[in-house]
Amino acid sequence: MRGVRFEEVTYRYPETPDPAIRGLTLDLECGEISWLFGPAGAGASTLLALASGAAPRHLGGIVSGRIRTLGSDPSAPAALAGRVAQLLPSPTLQLSGVANTVWEEVAFTPATLGWPRSRITATVDRSLTRLAVDHLRDRHPGTLSGGETRRVLLAALAATNPDLWLLDEPALALDDAGRNQLTALLREEARRGAAVVVASEDADLLAPVAHRLVFLSGGRVAADGRPGEVLRTTACRGSEAGNTSVALLAESIRRLIPESPRTRNPLPVFTEEFLERWRR
Amino acid sequence: MTTPHLDFSDVSFHYRNGPPVLDAVSFQVGAGEAVGLFGSNGAGKTTLTRLAMALLHPTSGTVTTLGTGTGGRHPEDLAGRAGYLFQHPEAQLFARTVEAEVTFGLEQMGVGREETRRRTAEVLERVGLPGARLENPWDLPAPHRRLVAMATILVTEPSLLILDEPTAGLDLRSRELVHRLLREHLHGGGSVFAVTHDPVFAAETLDRGVVLEGGKIVHDLPVSRLLSRSATPGVPRHPLLDIVAKLELGEWEWRRDRLAHRLATERA
Repeated sequence: MRGVRFEEVTYRYPETPDPAIRGLTLDLECGEISWLFGPAGAGASTLLALASGAAPRHLGGIVSGRIRTLGSDPSAPAALAGRVAQLLPSPTLQLSGVANTVWEEVAFTPATLGWPRSRITATVDRSLTRLAVDHLRDRHPGTLSGGETRRVLLAALAATNPDLWLLDEPALALDDAGRNQLTALLREEARRGAAVVVASEDADLLAPVAHRLVFLSGGRVAADGRPGEVLRTTACRGSEAGNTSVALLAESIRRLIPESPRTRNPLPVFTEEFLERWRR
Repeated sequence: MTTPHLDFSDVSFHYRNGPPVLDAVSFQVGAGEAVGLFGSNGAGKTTLTRLAMALLHPTSGTVTTLGTGTGGRHPEDLAGRAGYLFQHPEAQLFARTVEAEVTFGLEQMGVGREETRRRTAEVLERVGLPGARLENPWDLPAPHRRLVAMATILVTEPSLLILDEPTAGLDLRSRELVHRLLREHLHGGGSVFAVTHDPVFAAETLDRGVVLEGGKIVHDLPVSRLLSRSATPGVPRHPLLDIVAKLELGEWEWRRDRLAHRLATERA
């Protein structure tokens, strides 16, 4: 099964003159971590909203073309209930508001899906452990810090074993331990067969873990492939989006010594490639 | 000695019926200084910044912001002198246009219409959004929304900027813009106190880092030295750490241009 399929999709937000997505065709597969990357306004967050059905259902606007999310039309969301895990960039807006404890927050969606109590208990306990938030289980969600809230929301989303993850800047405000748990979660979920789609500006986090990088520019796909390859393309190099810290360092050095064999193409993107070239 | 812009003296704090969050915390931020606040998730970093802005008050000890003790004060008492960037811009954006958002603070401070117009245009130019004046902030991409929030603060020309994750989710262009704005602010004698998990921002923009763990300040060091302690809880691991370590560059050089210069001159 396909995670998300966009066919000739064009989308315009309400009261804006220019489309945010322009005639875009793209398949995002199950079993893969797909990373959507591009400068601000390139369309990465918009694609997540279209895949979940939030656009145009909640956000308004006009869409043309065809979108299939887990084989269904996302504008009729009943078929996707409990199967799509969507994380918004502002976690506090996403808390249910009805849970008195973190445990209840994580149990909320499984409970609304009508799961039996024993199954809910098992999945909540497992999720709290996976995201290392078990120690917060009795805390009120409203008293959590920004980073803690994000980890609890990820645990809540993992609790339903979703088939599709749509994550918008999932690492915001996470400490290093949280970033490691996040990348472990992404990998496990892809291995389990879920389609994992991440929109992020954090190239250092995503480049080593993503199977595929879709580089967006002006609502179109500018480059698509393995992260190491795409980050070396001219579409990425020198764009406003950025690159890995290693790639940016390599470019800074090339500006200083353009003729050196150390700075020949292709420039390194990852630490090991860089070290290979710079070890004496 | 000049008065520090921010002075925490023996500050302890707990929320009502809650466990201690801060335990006898003392540190200062001086004029012209950029200080980062590091710590694990839940360490109390945001709570600490709220104490600095008189949004909260210490259980014991004193917080002095720009020479004013926060005891009995409210955030508006610091308006125009200290600016606060929330972790999420939705906590501070409410107007229907970028212009209304940016002028709100000036109007509250009683700044005249002509002056307001001039400063608004100028600040939107500085954050790279001169064409967004009449747009709804919520129609902008998230990184630009964050820059609007930054503009609402900068326009009041505060001396002290207290920023909660100022580079979170920003693309490279916006990050470089924030770096430039903050360095200009520091150059003019202002100060910056920023909560961050972003080691690249810390390396490029900040001078000093304090690390909060278990309610206490466990380190207060120059950023370059702090980042070399990659195994320290609460200190983010810099993505170039392995390169610096494995090429045995000795003295830690974290800023990208300096590291590039060293490699180009010493190893080419």
